[in-house]
Amino acid sequence: MIARDKSQASLLQVFKAVLWSFLGIRRRAEHEADAIRLRLPQVVAVGIMCAALFVFTLIFVVHLVITRATT
Amino acid sequence: MAHSTADAAVAGHAHDHHDHAHDDHAHAAPSGFMRWLTTTNHKDIGTMYLWFSLTMFFVGGVLALGIRAELFKPGLQLWHPEFFNQLTTMHGLIMVFGAIMPAFVGFANWLVPLQIGAPDMAFARMNNWSFWLLPPAATLLVVSFFVPGGATAAGWTLYAPLTTQMGPGMDLAIFALHILGASSIMGSINIVVTILNMRAPGMTLMKMPMFVWTWLITAYLLIAVMPVLAGAITMTLTDRHFGTAFFNAAGGGDPVMFQHVFWFFGHPEVYIMILPAFGIVSHVIPAFARKPLFGYSSMVYATSSIAILSFIVWAHHMFVVGMPAAGVLFFMYATVLIAVPTGVKVFNWLATMWRGSMTFETPMLFAVGFLFVFTMGGFTGLICAIAPIDLQIQDTYYVVAHFHYVLVAGSLFAMFSGAYFWLPKWTGHMYDETLGKWHFWLSIIFFNVTFFPMHFLGLAGMPRRIPDYNIQFADFNMLATIGAFGFGLSQLVFLYTVLKCIRGGEKATAQVWEGAEGLEWTLSSPPPYHSFEVPPQVK
Repeated sequence: MIARDKSQASLLQVFKAVLWSFLGIRRRAEHEADAIRLRLPQVVAVGIMCAALFVFTLIFVVHLVITRATT
Repeated sequence: MAHSTADAAVAGHAHDHHDHAHDDHAHAAPSGFMRWLTTTNHKDIGTMYLWFSLTMFFVGGVLALGIRAELFKPGLQLWHPEFFNQLTTMHGLIMVFGAIMPAFVGFANWLVPLQIGAPDMAFARMNNWSFWLLPPAATLLVVSFFVPGGATAAGWTLYAPLTTQMGPGMDLAIFALHILGASSIMGSINIVVTILNMRAPGMTLMKMPMFVWTWLITAYLLIAVMPVLAGAITMTLTDRHFGTAFFNAAGGGDPVMFQHVFWFFGHPEVYIMILPAFGIVSHVIPAFARKPLFGYSSMVYATSSIAILSFIVWAHHMFVVGMPAAGVLFFMYATVLIAVPTGVKVFNWLATMWRGSMTFETPMLFAVGFLFVFTMGGFTGLICAIAPIDLQIQDTYYVVAHFHYVLVAGSLFAMFSGAYFWLPKWTGHMYDETLGKWHFWLSIIFFNVTFFPMHFLGLAGMPRRIPDYNIQFADFNMLATIGAFGFGLSQLVFLYTVLKCIRGGEKATAQVWEGAEGLEWTLSSPPPYHSFEVPPQVK
């Protein structure tokens, strides 16, 4: 088991890791750092938030397209 | 082994046992049929899953040949139209639920414990039950052809109101799907618990083999969506027999709601049928390119990403049904975006092969064939995802071509690749390479002869699920039928090769393939009946 590291990831770092995972790529060094500092509950929580954010972004883009098309 | 847990496995580490120490237990173990009926061994159960799915593959294949025989020429030749619809429906149901899904569970049963260094699956008795639910379900499906009115003919998508109008064959199909769903959920829980709790010391999540990763994600998908299917078909059942009107507009229900519920299950189901295939290919390509998998972590991320996206694209199957423009755009954009993580995977496999010292044994041939043909299926999927184009090609043979490129060339070719890759490990004998190569070349040629012309048929407007067609479609249909019979007969080569390999042949070494990596290759071929009783140390 990996010893608990005191340097836990900041919220921004968790967001960065999750957003890169949405694209499906990650730099090796950052991935290795993630493996040490990220905690699973953090990743799941931020992952759900990012998925919701992704859906809302899509809805926003669709809204923009529809309003432009109808004006 | 039924009570194996991670703790027990780790505790066992303290014993000075060798892996083989328990092979010759003097238990009065049941023999013959009772051995298979009562077994809780993951290897036995994996073998049964694989044989079951191969059997159903041939049953579903015979139904497909029935479809293609009717379509050899325009006009009604062999079947009544009602029976033709039963053939298309049952071909779909049997191939999806009876062949592809159980085959991947068979691979998981054999490989997950071996690849993570676990002695068995976490819930070994439930594992036995998961398997033994399958034969009754398959029997219900097959027997439904012989009840009054025959099997369900509503299409594998089981759309209302067709399903509320079918005979008792529909009820048998509903019960069969319930049982198959229960089996899948139990299998998935078993796989999740095994992977999360029984990994060998040192095997962190990000050191897990890709096949294990893809199955972990697939298992979560299954647990999420199989109850949705169960709900949909239960509502269908109560509409049929208990006076409800969930999908009956006359009673205040909505048949379109069925489609939404079904596809909320159905689209993740598509990924359930392809993610383990990605996992298999991610083992075979590095082994025969003699290079580690390029971008392992990006593969894990891409798989997770595909799984999440799979939940928000379902209505792309329903563009023609009708929805607000905002809905069409949302589902179109979301669908097209899935191409990004999928593209990441394809490029990673290509990069793995780049400058590798490649050899093309049968598993690699099927993996490269998978890459070539699955990518074509992926691209035609993108074409279908563009809503204005989909209005033209919805319910035509273009869609039939698309999903067969994904499911046959994708899932099935990956399974063949995996079968040839691990067959020497499972049986202890090398398979006949010449026969394997024959199998590959016949399969890939006849597959394309069968399904490539269907793109043209679809673009020209030939609808799917019809027993007759206009004369202008005759040539391509005849070609597709010839291809289908060629493809079907080619699979007998596979059956013969497997049987020959089981009965004997050159002894396989433990490593089998020079470039293969993973814990399963540290065990003898075949592996001992009880393997990894002492968990290996992973560095």
